[in-house]
Amino acid sequence: MVPYKHYSLLAIACLMWMAGCSSPYVENNMIEEIAPVVFWSVDKGTEGKFKISTLVPPLIQEKKRLLTKEVDLLKQGGKEFNLIYNRELKQGQLRMVLINEELAKKGGIEKLVNTILVDPDISMRVYLLIVRGNFDEYIKHQLTKQENQDYFLYRMLKHYEDYNQGEMSIVNIHQFMKKLYSPLEAPILPVFRSDKNNFNYIGTAFFQEDKEVMVIQDVDDEIFQLLDNDHFLKVLAIPKLSVSLGRVRSNVRMKLSRDYSSLSLHVGLNGRIEEYQGEKEIQSEEQLEHVIQEIEIYLEEQTSDLLKRMQRWKVDPLEVGTHSLKPFSKEITEKQWLKYWGNIKINVDYDIKIQPLNNVERLM
Amino acid sequence: MVEKYDPQMKSYQLPTWLDELKQKLNHMDDAEVVEHRMGTSASVHLLYINTLIDQERLNEAIIQPLHRCDGNSLSSCITNAKVSEVTSIEEAQQKIMQGYILLNDAVNDQWVGVQLETTLGRAVESSQTETVIYGAKDSFSEQIDKNITMLRRRLPITTLKSESFTVGSLSKTKVVLLYIDGLTNPKFISYARKKIESVDFDQFLDSSQLAAFMEDHHHSVFPQFLQTDRPDACAYALGEGKLTLLVSNSPFALLAPITFFHLFQSPEDYFLRWTVASLLRLIRYGSFIVSLALIPFYVALTTFHYQMVPLPILFVLLESRSKLPFTPFVEGLSMIVTLEIIKEASLRMPTKTSQTLGVIGGIVIGQAAVEAGFASKVLIVLMGISAIAFFLVPNYQMTKSMVLVQVFLLILASFLGLPGIVIGLIGTLAHLHGLTSLGQPYFAPISPFYGKGWLDLFIRGPLIWMRTRPDYLKPLRKWRQEMKK
Repeated sequence: MVPYKHYSLLAIACLMWMAGCSSPYVENNMIEEIAPVVFWSVDKGTEGKFKISTLVPPLIQEKKRLLTKEVDLLKQGGKEFNLIYNRELKQGQLRMVLINEELAKKGGIEKLVNTILVDPDISMRVYLLIVRGNFDEYIKHQLTKQENQDYFLYRMLKHYEDYNQGEMSIVNIHQFMKKLYSPLEAPILPVFRSDKNNFNYIGTAFFQEDKEVMVIQDVDDEIFQLLDNDHFLKVLAIPKLSVSLGRVRSNVRMKLSRDYSSLSLHVGLNGRIEEYQGEKEIQSEEQLEHVIQEIEIYLEEQTSDLLKRMQRWKVDPLEVGTHSLKPFSKEITEKQWLKYWGNIKINVDYDIKIQPLNNVERLM
Repeated sequence: MVEKYDPQMKSYQLPTWLDELKQKLNHMDDAEVVEHRMGTSASVHLLYINTLIDQERLNEAIIQPLHRCDGNSLSSCITNAKVSEVTSIEEAQQKIMQGYILLNDAVNDQWVGVQLETTLGRAVESSQTETVIYGAKDSFSEQIDKNITMLRRRLPITTLKSESFTVGSLSKTKVVLLYIDGLTNPKFISYARKKIESVDFDQFLDSSQLAAFMEDHHHSVFPQFLQTDRPDACAYALGEGKLTLLVSNSPFALLAPITFFHLFQSPEDYFLRWTVASLLRLIRYGSFIVSLALIPFYVALTTFHYQMVPLPILFVLLESRSKLPFTPFVEGLSMIVTLEIIKEASLRMPTKTSQTLGVIGGIVIGQAAVEAGFASKVLIVLMGISAIAFFLVPNYQMTKSMVLVQVFLLILASFLGLPGIVIGLIGTLAHLHGLTSLGQPYFAPISPFYGKGWLDLFIRGPLIWMRTRPDYLKPLRKWRQEMKK
């Protein structure tokens, strides 16, 4: 029995124990004997197999090699890599899993992702990416050109995740799985295009269950960032209207009718005009109003179009379905909701507030 | 001239005393037995050790007054020095060795002692071990009386009591126990008294030796008495309800009872603004943890938990460790030992040599070890941080003890990784919790918990809020303020 006066010590000891808690059986991971893997690239192989690739050694200044194996199981790949490399490959520092778009379209990536998710050695903060094209070819080509290409790729993803810059949809493995398992939510993943020389972000992929059904790009992707992902865009470029809005912040309000027949979407945008190459004289307040109105109409049309495509593909990445949830009422099922979602009449309204420009001729 | 036995004399022991004393002083070249005339008639024997006494004062205070004197007793002749009567031969021996002049007036059957100890010793200098920017600069010296004077000047109250003891069968070291009567808990006083009286050893060259005999836990690496050479720190401690022990020939006083957290307090904490002092104190605790756990943490991460290292740092670690022949444990341990060798060597060397040693140790060994591939760059950086962090703890004894704890944690980290470090820290915590200083819990006010004590624990609270003395010292007078009428 610990006297009550000494409870504080007991509490400190318990906190310390919890902070350092782990299995008493520690695994020897001497860092000079291991090769921590930073990414896994998973592609469709022959005869229903997976083609797994990784780069070793990922960090040390030694000659790098791209290892590729065709396997039935993901873990089998990890094991077989060890047999062909002198250091022990470890997945504890896995930071990116790149899944080929063909595989994602086929469906069934849930099992792949789950394998990584349930591995206690692997952190939950693993970025998931969809790759259009051949990533292996790109990495192989870059081996001689740029050192630590994989590491810099990770840094790029981390940068856009940390600061919510609204440039990219960055998704962690646990975020993907949470949306996958939650009713009324559709998972999303960023899509990158890869060829021999380039690896660049192109847009966001929407999933129905674990199957990629549509990819949005360019203005659509920017609208998606404003509507749901970051609610912020550093630059919203609208080439059609020859205008670029900067530092755009959005305030989105959705109102779903009680019978799920209509949705009113109100988007308040706050930003400034950073570039204008059109015909109008935006120094004049009247003409500026016209430009703003044009932008509003353009965004409303684009957004309506985007939402219609989502309805057509029966995906709801904006989580509109969650607005159907009310206290003390029965939760609508995902199947029911998607049925409603396909037929909802959507009314989009944009309200843009432009920060005051200098040298504007005011209307008297 | 030696007195002969005279059966007519009332006390036949006195000449025997002289004989006996002469016998005792045999083969001591600096012992003097001389005879002088007191006035015109009686002769007086003077016994002293001339290396212990002040020769000028002897002439001034004894010889000249004796020649001029026509009185009957020694005490009436010697007027400008303190004269004390000697009643036993043991006392006579002791006084001679303490710098007294013994005078024997055979006619009046009188033995007296006059203290004319030479004032050999350092002047009051500033503290070398506990330097402060603000605050008093004086520090204790080897002369115990001067040290008491410094304390009495800071606490000019009649309740500041001092009790003298003598310890050491050879060194006859004087120990003075100081406390404030009516404030310090009497239990501490009687406990300390009992402890001092039970001390049985031949020599005491420093107060730390006395502390070793008085400590409740001899085998612990943590000091249970606080050594300080600052009179202001002692006065503050006395005012809080602690005891102070002064030991002759040692410039370091002992303070007790203390807690573990006193080892992180500097006298300057109370001179700076409370916010600044609190920040410094937090930095000290932080650096304590860093100095103990940084190298073990490095070993644990590089041996077991590479997953925990952020990728950019792992990048650096992998590169720095990729070509080393030693395991992280061997690398860490050898660098700790090397650092201790450098530290120890620079302490024992003269100042100018130690500077060179610092350069050799820091640049040559550090850089060369990395270039030769014996140690990783990261470890050298961590060693540097850890070594500097050690010196932030104001108590030097504690700094030395911490190295042992560091090695203990390092060994655990090399076997068990982070759980090992946690087990080691919990073990250290449990050990600290079990310690006592003068019978009082060492880990107060955390355990046992005393809420008000936290005001002067991790932070140094504003002095205007610290109205009560620490509860864990159980002072008889709780309030620091006196009610003004």
